[in-house]
Parts: sequence; C-alpha cells; structure tokens
Amino acid sequence: MAKRSYDLLFKLLLIGDSGVGKTCILFRFSDDAFNTTFISTIGIDFKIKTIELKGKKIKLQIWDTAGQERFHTITTSYYRGAMGIMLVYDITQPKSFDNIAKWLRNIEEHANEDVEKMLLGNKCDMEDRRAISRERGEDIARQHGIRFLETSAKANINVERAFYELSEAILDKGPNKDKIPEAQPLPKPRSELSKCCN
Amino acid sequence: MAFAGRSVELKRILESENIGLKEFREACFQGLDEAGLRPKCWRILLNCLPPQPARWSETLASQRKSYQQWVQELIIYPGEGQDDEEQRHDITQDDHPLNPNPQSNWSAYFKDNEVLLQIDKDARRLYPDMCFFQRPTDYPVKMDASGNITAAEYLRKRIDRCVLKSAAVVKNRSGGWNISGVSRKRTEYENLSESEEAHWEVVERLLFIYAKLNPGQAYVQGMNEIIGPIYYTFSTDKDETFREHAEADTFLCFTNLMGEIRDRFIKHLDESASGIVSSMNNLMDLLKSTDHVLWTCLEGMDLKPQYYSFRWLTLMLSQEFALPEVLRLWDSLFADAERFDFLLYICCSMLVLIRDQLLEGDFATSMKLLQNYPNPDIHKILVKATQLRKSRQIATGGSVTGIMIG
Repeated sequence: MAKRSYDLLFKLLLIGDSGVGKTCILFRFSDDAFNTTFISTIGIDFKIKTIELKGKKIKLQIWDTAGQERFHTITTSYYRGAMGIMLVYDITQPKSFDNIAKWLRNIEEHANEDVEKMLLGNKCDMEDRRAISRERGEDIARQHGIRFLETSAKANINVERAFYELSEAILDKGPNKDKIPEAQPLPKPRSELSKCCN
Repeated sequence: MAFAGRSVELKRILESENIGLKEFREACFQGLDEAGLRPKCWRILLNCLPPQPARWSETLASQRKSYQQWVQELIIYPGEGQDDEEQRHDITQDDHPLNPNPQSNWSAYFKDNEVLLQIDKDARRLYPDMCFFQRPTDYPVKMDASGNITAAEYLRKRIDRCVLKSAAVVKNRSGGWNISGVSRKRTEYENLSESEEAHWEVVERLLFIYAKLNPGQAYVQGMNEIIGPIYYTFSTDKDETFREHAEADTFLCFTNLMGEIRDRFIKHLDESASGIVSSMNNLMDLLKSTDHVLWTCLEGMDLKPQYYSFRWLTLMLSQEFALPEVLRLWDSLFADAERFDFLLYICCSMLVLIRDQLLEGDFATSMKLLQNYPNPDIHKILVKATQLRKSRQIATGGSVTGIMIG
C-alpha cells in the first residue's frame, strides 16, 4: 500500500439545519455531480478528496452531519478534531438562517478555538424563492468575523471555491499551530445575564 | 429445505387454527421472498394479527377503524373541514390564530407545522432511486362525502401555508419593503391530480399521525427509513383485500415496532441501557470477544462505532442495502424472538466478513467500506450471524437458543 500520497491532511465538517443541502454540496465537490434526491443523512457521512494548493497535495477528509437536533450529541463529538467547519443555510428557508446563531454557539462550545469557519448560503440558484438576501448573509458573517459565500450545488456555483478558500485559510495558518490567542469576546458574567430577566 | 418446500410448510402453518409461534418464527426466519406471504407474516410477527386466524377479520376491522378516526381527527386544521357544524362554531368563536393560550388549537397547529415540514423533507426523499414512492396510490384517503378531497390535500395546504407564512420581508433598493412571496408550484408534486396521493404522501401522513399521537418522540429523522420498507411490503401485497388497507396496517405495525426500538430515537435516553450509545458499546463488546484482532485494529485507527454503527443500529440496516435485501434481512430480524440482540450479531458478522479488507486498509478506506458496505450477500451475513450467536452462547455456558439458517 502506498503510504501518504499527500502532504497534509485537513479535517473538515459540514453542519447546518436538515435539508439545506449539505450532502449535495459535498457530492458536488467530491463527485462533481448533482442529485436532487438524497436520502437524509443519519448520524454522519464521510468523503475524501485530494486537492492541490500552493504546490501541496492536501487530502481533505470531509464529514457530513445530520441536521436534526436529535443527532447533536452524536455529531458534536466530531467538532473537536475539525480544522475547518462549513456552516450551511438555505436562502429559501428563513428558519435555517435564524438558526445560524445556534450553530455558531455549538461550534464555540465543541470545536477547537482556532477552527476556521465559513458560512454558506446554499440554493442561490433559486432566486424566485429567495427569502434571505445576500446582504443579510454578508452582515451576519461580518458580525462573527467569518468567511461567507452564496453557493449552489445544483448550478455548481462557488462550491469548489468554498472548499479551496477554507483549505487555504487552514494552510495559511501554518502547520505548527502556534496558537496566537486572538481577542476573544469574554463570556458574559452570569449575573449580567440573569439581571435582565427580573 | 428448498424454497418451494418452505412456502408449502409456511402455508400449512398459517392454515392451522392456532399458529404455533415457535414453528412459525423458524419458518419466517429462512426468508419470505416467495409465494407472497411476507405481508401476512410480518403482520403476525409485528403483532398486528393474532396467531388465531379466526380472529383476524374482527381484529383488523377494529384497528383499521381506529386509524381512520385518527386521520379524520388529527390532520384537519382548526376552524376548517369539520362536518360538525357545532364544533366549527366553537373553534372560530373561542380560538383564533393569535390566541396566546398554550391550550389553543392554533398554537398546537403552528407547532405541528414544524414537525410536518421536517417530515415533508424526509418523506419526499425516501428511496429516491425507486419510482414506487413517487407514484400515486390506488387507495387515497377521502375526507369528504363527495370523495373529491383527499387527506393528502390537507397536508399539502398546510405545508404551503407554512412556507408562505415564513415569506421574508425584503428592503428594496429604493427603501421600500417587498414581501418576497414564496409559492410552491404544483409541479413539485410530480403532476398528480388533486384527487391523487403519491405513496410518499401516504408515508408522510403516517409519520405525522404517529408524531401527533406520540408527542414525546414526535418525528425523528430515520423513522421514515423504518416505516418505508413496511409500507412498501404492505402496499405491494398481491392480495387486494389486504393491499387496500396497507396504510392502516403499516401504522399499527410501525407503532408496535417503535414500541421496541423507540429509545434509540430519543436523545436523552442515549446513555440508558436501551439507548443507542449502549447498543453501540454492546456491538463493540461483541466484536472484541469475537475477533479481538479486528477490534484492536479499529480501536487503533480510532474508527469509532458511531461513525457507522449509529446508522446501522438506528435504522436496522435499512440504508445499508437495496430494498429487496433489506426486506429479506428483516424477515429474519422480525422472526427472531430476540430480534434486537440478533441485530447486534448481524452487525458483528458484517464486520467480521470484511475483516481482511479492514485489517489492510487505513482509516479512510475502512471508513468508506463501512459506510458503503461492499457486495452484500444477505444469506452469508445471516449464516455468519447465527453461527456467531451459537458459538457465543456455547462460550458463555448459556443454552443454545437462536434459530439457525437452514
């Protein structure tokens, strides 16, 4: 068996509400194909794709998770090892956009501090059913200081770009991971949280 | 025993006045592919039919009637569709969509819609490779005397409404506000006429009614993959007198089956003895005592059981194989008195049967193998599983009880 046909191994994770198209995005990227009818992901799915970036062969190990709340205890255990996380919503489903904050909290709780994040507004080919404007997506991404792209797995828009940009961000951080502590917003003291309710 | 001989034997058992369950289970365990006996046998194995054929018509009639009542009661939205003039009056007088009372019919209605939307997403994508679920059923449920309105039509309207309800208000360039209306086109329903219902819509209704009657679990993704094969089996029954009641009978069988496995679908029971985490641990213990080398190899790769066996166990392997294979596998599974214990042996035998490939591969190739199980030979898997069980029972000094593959 030929060992190590790659220079680097990146672990990526796809999260977001159910039905936003996580599996379709991954399928488009890994197999360059589209299928409208995917069975729902139960637990976790897994794909491998090797890409070349800045002269390096990078093996991407991509984990695709189930969206429904029930699976969170199972899926959050994958957050820890992830170097990059793609958080996906559906531009035609406002609920999936509203839940972004909830997903970001999950990342904060369960992922490594220095994980690279990216927000994707999927199904951007369905302009006639758009419910979330591009600006709103950009705004929320800016607020949280994360990358943002609108994608369409169906029309093959920005899918490859998303994976390359995320990988590049991980690559640029360097292999030794000397964690320079970034200015993290301090958690609010409990007293402050409870005050407003009374 | 040859196929023909087996189905003759099974027919003989079914004709007896009081079906001997031990003998019956043993016959079913060998597979029910032939002679169209699967629908009837599954009904017996899943406690929808008692072992006394003389009681069948009465039992079925009362069960089917209950189901029809649930359909009538549970899918109609408040303020509409009731023939009962008085009831309609009540609802519109005392209740309205903005009623803050948590007991309000409308409040329940809005909550139900979220469950319904989730079911809708999954029912549509049930067995996408087969055209069966997209085709219309011959037995749609009629909701009015004229027979024009189907039950599916009610749920379609509800889904349309919640999609409309969530239409976004968008600020346009000139500073005004636009409501970006979202209307679903009829074409999404595969060009069925109003009075038709696709099989997936029947599955959607089944799951919705189950969720309404079992609010503690409501709907969990994956239930569609459990109910799908049962509904398919019943609605392709060659016997029309049974086929026309596929929906109601599926509901009962599914409910009975869920009674046994529901803990695996409930998050807060994950760590309990009947929860999914314990099941996965039991599988690993079984593998450890069966094939220590393989167990050590998987541990060494950090290939955790939740990466593959979460799905295997939750869905009883229904996503791992093509439908005909799943049906064959479930014959044995349902027939086994210790069916969920036996599922562990099946999963363990699946691992052992590809041990050479797993031992050779790295993490990624092994993961791919386990997530896309190669060349499934159900018969081989079952034979191996029964052997594993037998040797385990002998090793632990227990009595050898399970059925073997003939």
